[in-house]
Amino acid sequence: MASVTINNIKKDYGAVEVIHGLDLSIGDGQFVVLLGPSGCGKSTLLRMIAGLEPITSGRIAIGDHVVNTLHPKDRNIAMVFQNYALYAHMTVFDNMAFSMQLKKRPKEEIKQKVAWAASVLNLTPYLERYPRQLSGGQRQRVAMGRAIVRDPTVFLFDEPLSNLDAKLRVQMRTEIKELHQRLKTTTVYVTHDQIEAMTMADVIVIMRDGYIEQIGRPLDVYDRPENLFVASFIGSPAMNMFHGEVATDGDAGVVRIGDLALPLPPKAAVRPGQKVVYGVRPEHLRPVTDGSGIPATVTVVEPTGPEIHIFASVGSIAVCSVLHQRMELSPGARIHLEPAPDQIHLFDQGSGERLDKGRN
Amino acid sequence: MEPSRAQMIARDLLAVLVVAIFMFPIAWWALSSIKPYSAIFDRSGPVYTGFKPTPDNYRVTLLGVSRVEIGMEQGGEAAGVIKGGANSYDSRQSLLDSAIIAVGSTALTLLLATLAAYCLSRMHFSGQQSFLFWILSQRFMPPIAIVIPIVFMFRDLGLRDTYTGLILVHSLINLPLAVLLLKSFFDDVPREVDEAALIDGATRWQTFARVVLPMVKGGVAATAVLCFIFSWTEFLLSLFLTTSIRTVPVKISTFVTSTATEWGYITALGTSAIIPSFIFILLVQRHLVRGLTLGSLKE
Repeated sequence: MASVTINNIKKDYGAVEVIHGLDLSIGDGQFVVLLGPSGCGKSTLLRMIAGLEPITSGRIAIGDHVVNTLHPKDRNIAMVFQNYALYAHMTVFDNMAFSMQLKKRPKEEIKQKVAWAASVLNLTPYLERYPRQLSGGQRQRVAMGRAIVRDPTVFLFDEPLSNLDAKLRVQMRTEIKELHQRLKTTTVYVTHDQIEAMTMADVIVIMRDGYIEQIGRPLDVYDRPENLFVASFIGSPAMNMFHGEVATDGDAGVVRIGDLALPLPPKAAVRPGQKVVYGVRPEHLRPVTDGSGIPATVTVVEPTGPEIHIFASVGSIAVCSVLHQRMELSPGARIHLEPAPDQIHLFDQGSGERLDKGRN
Repeated sequence: MEPSRAQMIARDLLAVLVVAIFMFPIAWWALSSIKPYSAIFDRSGPVYTGFKPTPDNYRVTLLGVSRVEIGMEQGGEAAGVIKGGANSYDSRQSLLDSAIIAVGSTALTLLLATLAAYCLSRMHFSGQQSFLFWILSQRFMPPIAIVIPIVFMFRDLGLRDTYTGLILVHSLINLPLAVLLLKSFFDDVPREVDEAALIDGATRWQTFARVVLPMVKGGVAATAVLCFIFSWTEFLLSLFLTTSIRTVPVKISTFVTSTATEWGYITALGTSAIIPSFIFILLVQRHLVRGLTLGSLKE
């Protein structure tokens, strides 16, 4: 086990720079998820840690060793790929034993380790089968088995669950997390699925266009997104965003959005006239019956079981509210929605940055 | 929509008809090879049945029994067609020559083509597209255009009339197609498989030999079949570049003499020549299934 330290890492393909000087420090035993839309550079970063992609400049260290120019096989890492990349002509046993066979380990030791990995991953009955005879989830487990038999210092996962169906994905998610809790190996996991990121990570690293937008624990990232991108990327349904301008209404500060005036959160660091984005998560925008709040017209009601998603329009703005209790509503109904005052996220329209950074 | 019973029968009948059309020349060829001389040259029309099958054509071409001996067995009945004593129709050596050259050139082609195709599939270098086109361009020129220069070059190099020479020439002609074909098979193996092997501790060579090559053995088998059949049936270069070595196609051509065309021997040797390719294809057809890489991939 080891930490991974990344200093000012850059990557370009000819004239196109795709990773722009990233710094990231991954603690020993941490489960770190790199999250971002496709093309954000998360896979490239992972492949640079693996040694599959040369580094243009900067420094990557695993433990105390700078590995910039080390061959992948000398980094003592293991990687699980999106398409599993199993050796189709080898049995499950040989797939897992391959790395040790290359190192010419004693046969007994190989047998023992593969048997251990197979029992951890419930693959024992399938050791003599070929990958083509396995289901998607089993193949994914073989890929993981291939990784854990080597007792690597770092696990790298490159979107390992995106080829599985929804149910299996949830199940494998739990299995990977359990595996991590059991082995406590430092793990870097790439995904574009925010649910995977939220549920599995100790630390989420949100990336966009080759930059890191925010690093933090899952709930911190959700509760205090540091900029508009993170706020809109994390959360489903997405955060409601109102574009407006700070004004004063008597003593109290408000944000004017067209004819609406929404109260400022208590600790907002804003000046009058500043153009801001007023963000509120759907679960913090609730229907009220006392006539206060934002008047809206219901457009669509989506019951999901545990929740009801109400989509409504405020003038030309589409908003969403998530309720945990039952409520009878039909499209066209007039309702009033009130944001929870202590759950408001304010961002500067120009920079997109959160306006109460560093406060709580 | 499920095809109706009538449609299924019609489809099967059509398939039988198509196969029959393609099989007819081969069947006719094989039939002629067991006909006696008189049935081959029957003036009343094609003979399908009603002749007495004879193994004589095979005995002459494959067993080296001379025509004189056969003539004597038949009590001089066929004495009219006996001309020489030595059996110039004995083709055993030709079958051996063809086998050596076809197996040799197939092996050489596969050795070079798998390595080249793997590199072209996995590594990137400037001018790669042009290089691929250049490889393909080697097939643009017909062999007849290069045969004269090759004859002179081979004479000076001492390669004329040698197994090595013909193996080289057949390999050169097979290489472009083999490289391009194999490249497409390598392209089908996801790059992540190589990367997984590299991370597992394999060298590039081990990745190629122990992981990727076994995954494309279907493609290698298909390529081998094509190379083998080309070399086995190649006529022009074999004719020009040899005198004592006679491959089967060249040998058959000598059965057309100034005095007669020995249809019996031609068909007998021709039919026999199908058999080695047939066996070869049977041996590799198990691997000809493209779905072999299935299982390493996502679906």
